[in-house]
Amino acid sequence: METVWTNFPVLASTVVNKMDSTDHLILIALAAVTAFLPRYIPMLFFSTREIPDWFNEWMKYVPVSLFTALVVKSVFLSSTYHIELLGHVNYIIAGVIVILITYVTRSMAFSVLAGLVAVFVITTFF
Amino acid sequence: MKQKEPNWLMVLKVSMPLCLSYIPIGLACGVLLHAAGFNFLMTLLVSIVVFSGGAQFLIASLLTINAPILSIVVTLFFLELRYALLGSSLSKYMKNQPQRFIWLFSVSLNDENYAINYLKFNTDKDWTPRQALMVEHYSLITWSVSNFIGSLIGSALTINLDIVDFALTALFLYMIVMQVRNRLTFLIGLLSAVLSIIFIAWTKSTIGIIISTLLASFVGFMVESYIRRHHQHVHHTWLFGKIRGPAITRKTVEDKDAEEADEADS
Repeated sequence: METVWTNFPVLASTVVNKMDSTDHLILIALAAVTAFLPRYIPMLFFSTREIPDWFNEWMKYVPVSLFTALVVKSVFLSSTYHIELLGHVNYIIAGVIVILITYVTRSMAFSVLAGLVAVFVITTFF
Repeated sequence: MKQKEPNWLMVLKVSMPLCLSYIPIGLACGVLLHAAGFNFLMTLLVSIVVFSGGAQFLIASLLTINAPILSIVVTLFFLELRYALLGSSLSKYMKNQPQRFIWLFSVSLNDENYAINYLKFNTDKDWTPRQALMVEHYSLITWSVSNFIGSLIGSALTINLDIVDFALTALFLYMIVMQVRNRLTFLIGLLSAVLSIIFIAWTKSTIGIIISTLLASFVGFMVESYIRRHHQHVHHTWLFGKIRGPAITRKTVEDKDAEEADEADS
């Protein structure tokens, strides 16, 4: 089995990592478990019993809070999680454009596309 | 009238913006995993079983600094813990679904298809768990195929990650604007922004996202229940004042309910 995996060519010219494909398989298996459990357990737990109303009322505010946190993470924090309020000025400007376009058009495709074009233009030409 | 369109096509149209933004990110992710030493089968496998842009970028970057497997897995665990929030908040729509369905649905749940499905469940009375699962599968297919192609192209392609990464930020910004329907949700969003800056910087990890989300949404819940206890007509209080888009775009279930409520009041 092992030879099957290792015989597939690794196309990289410079492989920096020392792990072989068996290590990769172990890593993927463990990663799959850590990806699966947090997704599955709460959903199994809450969908198989009566959920109290207060819990649903609380969860109602989860999406807006979560999406804001995800946006803030990529706009105002560095990759090492340090605060950089002006670290991504291109994101800030493009983000404002996305918000305005969403508000006016309510179209997901149009908003995302406009945001990508905006961030591309700003990053490339300024 | 709309029912003439076959179901798979209708759901595909709903998923299309997400699928399109997954293509460049998936390609980039495949390129990075390839550079980190993954062969194309491993990349395909990881993109199916992990199915998370953030987690896969993390795997790639930790592999390039030769981090041990165990520390990669622990970091991943903290990163993916937030999926518990997604599952919890969607669970009320998953009542009465068979066990197998819950399993299938949670396997391919992630931030982005959750965002789409939450919005659909929220605004479309006819949106079914089956259709939600279909959105997940469309996004999974696009994601893994893009990863696969990215790993085959490998270093032949240079991708500006800074630009590609913004696709998801734009998607989340869109979702935020669509979620904000009254002044309270707007303020909760602001609160979450401040809290997440503080907690991410403080914990130096994505666990800060979970803490700030739980706190901000809990504050929203407390404020709402306080107002409900002290006012008879919540929709007349300032915090529940409507923030709505231009008139032509008001066609969601909630908008219609709100308009009917307004008419009933006057």
